[in-house]
Amino acid sequence: MASPFSGALQLTDLDDFIGPSQECIKPVKVEKRPGSGVAKIRIEDDGSYFQVNQDGGTRRLEKAKVSLNDCLACSGCITSAETVLITQQSHEELKKVLDANKMAAPSQQRLVVVSVSPQSRASLAARFQLNPTDTARKLTSFFKKIGVHFVFDTAFSRHFSLLESQREFVRRFRGQADCRQALPLLASACPGWICYAEKTHGSFILPYISTARSPQQVMGSLVKDFFAQQQRLTPDKIYHVTVMPCYDKKLEASRPDFFNQEHQTRDVDCVLTTGEVFRLLEEEDVSLPDLEPAPLDSLCSGASAEEPTSHRGGGSGGYLEHVFRHAARELFGIHVAEVTYKPLRNKDFQEVTLEKEGQVLLHFAMAYGFRNIQNLVQRLKRGHCPYHYVEVMACPSGCLNGGGQLQAPDRPSRELLQHVERLYGMVRAEMPEDAPGVQELYTHWLQGTDSECAGRLLHTQYHAVEKANTGLGIRW
Amino acid sequence: MKDSLVLLGRVPAHPDSRCWFLAWNPAGTLLASCGGDRRIRIWGTEGDSWICKSVLSEGHQRTVRKVAWSPCGNYLASASFDATTCIWKKNQDDFECVTTLEGHENEVKSVAWAPSGNLLATCSRDKSVWVWEGASRSLQVDWEPPDTPLRVRDRVGSWVPFFFSPTVDEEDEYECVSVLNSHTQDVKHVVWHPSQELLASASYDDTVKLYREEEDDWVCCATLEGHESTVWSLAFDPSGQRLASCSDDRTVRIWRQYLPDNEQGVACSGSDPSWKCICTLSGFHSRTIYDIAWCQLTGALATACGDDAIRVFQEDPNSDPQQPTFSLTAHLHQAHSQDVNCVAWNPKEPGLLASCSDDGEVAFWKYQRPEGL
Repeated sequence: MASPFSGALQLTDLDDFIGPSQECIKPVKVEKRPGSGVAKIRIEDDGSYFQVNQDGGTRRLEKAKVSLNDCLACSGCITSAETVLITQQSHEELKKVLDANKMAAPSQQRLVVVSVSPQSRASLAARFQLNPTDTARKLTSFFKKIGVHFVFDTAFSRHFSLLESQREFVRRFRGQADCRQALPLLASACPGWICYAEKTHGSFILPYISTARSPQQVMGSLVKDFFAQQQRLTPDKIYHVTVMPCYDKKLEASRPDFFNQEHQTRDVDCVLTTGEVFRLLEEEDVSLPDLEPAPLDSLCSGASAEEPTSHRGGGSGGYLEHVFRHAARELFGIHVAEVTYKPLRNKDFQEVTLEKEGQVLLHFAMAYGFRNIQNLVQRLKRGHCPYHYVEVMACPSGCLNGGGQLQAPDRPSRELLQHVERLYGMVRAEMPEDAPGVQELYTHWLQGTDSECAGRLLHTQYHAVEKANTGLGIRW
Repeated sequence: MKDSLVLLGRVPAHPDSRCWFLAWNPAGTLLASCGGDRRIRIWGTEGDSWICKSVLSEGHQRTVRKVAWSPCGNYLASASFDATTCIWKKNQDDFECVTTLEGHENEVKSVAWAPSGNLLATCSRDKSVWVWEGASRSLQVDWEPPDTPLRVRDRVGSWVPFFFSPTVDEEDEYECVSVLNSHTQDVKHVVWHPSQELLASASYDDTVKLYREEEDDWVCCATLEGHESTVWSLAFDPSGQRLASCSDDRTVRIWRQYLPDNEQGVACSGSDPSWKCICTLSGFHSRTIYDIAWCQLTGALATACGDDAIRVFQEDPNSDPQQPTFSLTAHLHQAHSQDVNCVAWNPKEPGLLASCSDDGEVAFWKYQRPEGL
């Protein structure tokens, strides 16, 4: 079966991120019978095993089985990392949690929160022929119908991710003289890119990668820290699900850096792809367009919950555009109205320059897809990289074309993608600086923009991954 | 038949090691060999014998599996188990490694230059096929007032800082144009069509795949199924209309390209040509066939086999183009003392064939089509 993970992740070895353990810990239940004595085992001609008791009686022995579910208890020697990830984080898991909630006593129940990405919403909107606002409201309605308590939009957490990226760039640009690895700054929102970088280029490339968390993981902090406090719950009492356009986000959610040791809980418990939400709708026998739209939830009371909002700069978050415009203003006092992209070798590799009186002040690029990531990294290694900032994404055409988005067998994929892009672009864009609720959270939740709290909750680290040398790692 | 393939000479090309592959330069004057000793040797004639003119030893950390000359003859590419591909530039008898292509996850199994000379293909045990494009740094220089850095436009039109040095070298750089993940197993060999920008690959997954450019990317446009085991090597015929493949299943298959709206009524999907197996040569080889070479001058087909023999086939004179028949015109037992890994026809001298083996030796042969066959 073809792997659903991004091309960059397929070429690395997922097993090096989730190491299979060498020993099977499944306890085998043995029925102990009274009486001493050693039983003998006889192998029949057909290969079946019979236990021969001392009194001569025989009993056919059952084969020991280790099922997939058993293997999920440990990281599994039989199952590959991919299977572990996909099965541990699935809509089946969500259903189990919701069912458990129904049976459990109030004190044992978990608060279930779902955070939907704008890209997943656009994909669902295209499929059901709805506009983005209706899709958001009807999705909220659906999730609440099956027992989810709150439904948020990761466009909100994206404000923080963009702001942190902007600030980080300006800081590094100003600090160029002191640090040789200050620039280029490489975007960090895409886990396919991050895992590939950690595995294949390790400590060479990691210093260049932005430490800002992705919108998914900022949402993890928001839900399990800020929102938990608001709800007067410990983080482990919240089950946080995100809806994302790709499978690579499942790997991101399971990173040890996003595991809260104190409360033994992940910032994001389960990632569902757009496709998995679609399956959930089918299994629950719900027609999304027929649902009554519900009011949208918001993480802070100040924010308007009438319609969803988004950001300009394309379907992968708009990192290049936001960092560019902010840097132009902060560093050079230039206001950029429209960002003009110049395609290079292919449409997934484009550049943007800020020029004044013939001089290039800023030189940014977007590099999507494995072949362009390859070329970028090779150029960097040879010292030929002319860019100050690069928005790197593992999927050709970006997140709207992620491996978990809905396909339409009866439509040419390019036409479908354009439709999804149009729906995505219909949502009103907001500047993160001006978005309601953001500044308040910086002040009250994070105690300031450059605080220790902000550093801990809005940033992360990367680790070069060593190739596992266990015998299990050999693929023949 | 015994006299149709005559030994001209042997050289111990890669002593105490295997010789994996051979490549004649386009002029037919030099033969490059590579092996398990991590070296590449360049052989040329001196009178009647073959002597080693250069040894390229500092390029790779592991076995060099294949070598390929560029169409102009000035460059040599080498594919290695160390996961890199080196590009060597020829300067008379000296070769200098001008760039290293990195990116494959593990052993690179093959490298091939496109007839245009600007594209390269590599394939690897990581199941992928990569297409690379060469780019030389342009010499258009833009001189600005002294306090701003010099800028140079690179091949794709971007301005890049340029630090002026007294000798302005042209740098050879290769960028990855496409990463193709169509095969499901180790890819053993890649070869380009003699005149079109069409790429073919052979794999441990028992198939042959063909690729072409579509807009700004490369796509797999055909999959040739039929072999029952690993396909080890490929060779196009001089016209490019037919492709020969050889396999661990001990057969050679000949495939023919049918364009849309062909006379024979072979179905095509869309605007892509179809490929059909029009001939299978079975029962001739007793072990795995590791290499196949189609002479561009005479049309003779040579095979390298794990039974230590070299065989040559020729198409019968009145053969039906849609259902050709080939006859065995040479069968040399014990051509080498171990598996024969490669056979290569000289591109300029008809009948001159080179072969190499696990025994580390390179042998030169003269082939003459037997009378009446």
